[in-house]
Amino acid sequence: MHSVLVRAQNVFGFFTTVAFFVAALIALSVVVSPQSPSASLKLRNVQVVKGRPHYYSTKKEEYAHVKFDLDAGTYTRILVLPPSNNRPPLLTRNVATIDLSTLFNWNTKQVFLYITATYPSLSPIEPPSQAIVWDAIIPSTSAPWHQNQYIHPPTRNTASSSSKSLKSTAAFPANASPGIVRLASQRPKYQITDVTGRIAERGNATLELGWNVQPWVGALTWTNRRDWGYWKGLVGGRSEQFDFPPLKGKKAEDVGTVKGGEKNRGSPA
Amino acid sequence: MADALLEKVREILEGHIDFEGQRTAELMTTAFLATVGVFAFLAGYIAQNIHYTLYLGLAGTALTFLAIVPPWPFFNRNPVAWLPAQNGLGAIGIEVDGKKVS
Repeated sequence: MHSVLVRAQNVFGFFTTVAFFVAALIALSVVVSPQSPSASLKLRNVQVVKGRPHYYSTKKEEYAHVKFDLDAGTYTRILVLPPSNNRPPLLTRNVATIDLSTLFNWNTKQVFLYITATYPSLSPIEPPSQAIVWDAIIPSTSAPWHQNQYIHPPTRNTASSSSKSLKSTAAFPANASPGIVRLASQRPKYQITDVTGRIAERGNATLELGWNVQPWVGALTWTNRRDWGYWKGLVGGRSEQFDFPPLKGKKAEDVGTVKGGEKNRGSPA
Repeated sequence: MADALLEKVREILEGHIDFEGQRTAELMTTAFLATVGVFAFLAGYIAQNIHYTLYLGLAGTALTFLAIVPPWPFFNRNPVAWLPAQNGLGAIGIEVDGKKVS
């Protein structure tokens, strides 16, 4: 420690040691932060169409278009649409507390949410196929803005109460916290195709909610369905089983994916 | 003149401190940085804001640098008492090319 240079090197050297231990402590501190995620996921509509799912598809193939409802939020009223769209929507009361906001602790930077459609392969020895239908990057309040972050669409409840000029730019509904997601009749971001080119009339499919918690410091964690210490497993977040319907004729309904900025948000270029 | 000036600049840049000062500097580094680390973690954890941890940690480290690196006067309070310089009386005679130099 006799000269300026040696002192600077010593201070910096010990600083790196301290920084390492503080970072390790932060990474470990999330273990005692309780988590109790829950969500409800319902299939709204599924259609199978034959065509070119992307502009760069070289051949016509069957592809599935999955619409879904996701409710990961504490709510008192939800909108329930009857199966046929001719009837007016009914408002029902529901007091379930469903949310992913406990995934956001002090060390969470963002949570990558995704919904997969899982269906068995044609060959019994092969593992089931999983395809992502929709995804979103939900930032925590401490994360800086980024163009790929998800922007939550206005929900019926909030849209009516707040003025329309006040456009929401948050990844969660107004007056809510990160981890609250309420999507009704959400279009998919991605259409599903199968390697065989055939997806119509395949059975036993489910929609599943998955996440990847990305912390500021520490390990990535994925969906867990089992309790582990203070971390409760995910409750719900899985749709009932459904079968892909037969191929639609020429007159297919609207099978577009989400458009505009939302389409590109969180997905690679 | 230029040599003396350069010597002064060199001394300031090197910033030598005495032995007791070196011991103090070592101890201060350890104590300051460890305290800063604990304090930054606790502040961030209690406020549930990781930015506090980051910026308090960096600010505390910057202060530690400021306190330790320059040769502050309190690092030089115990100068080494060297023995007085001795005259080379009856000691070595240096000869260069057969001539006595000293």
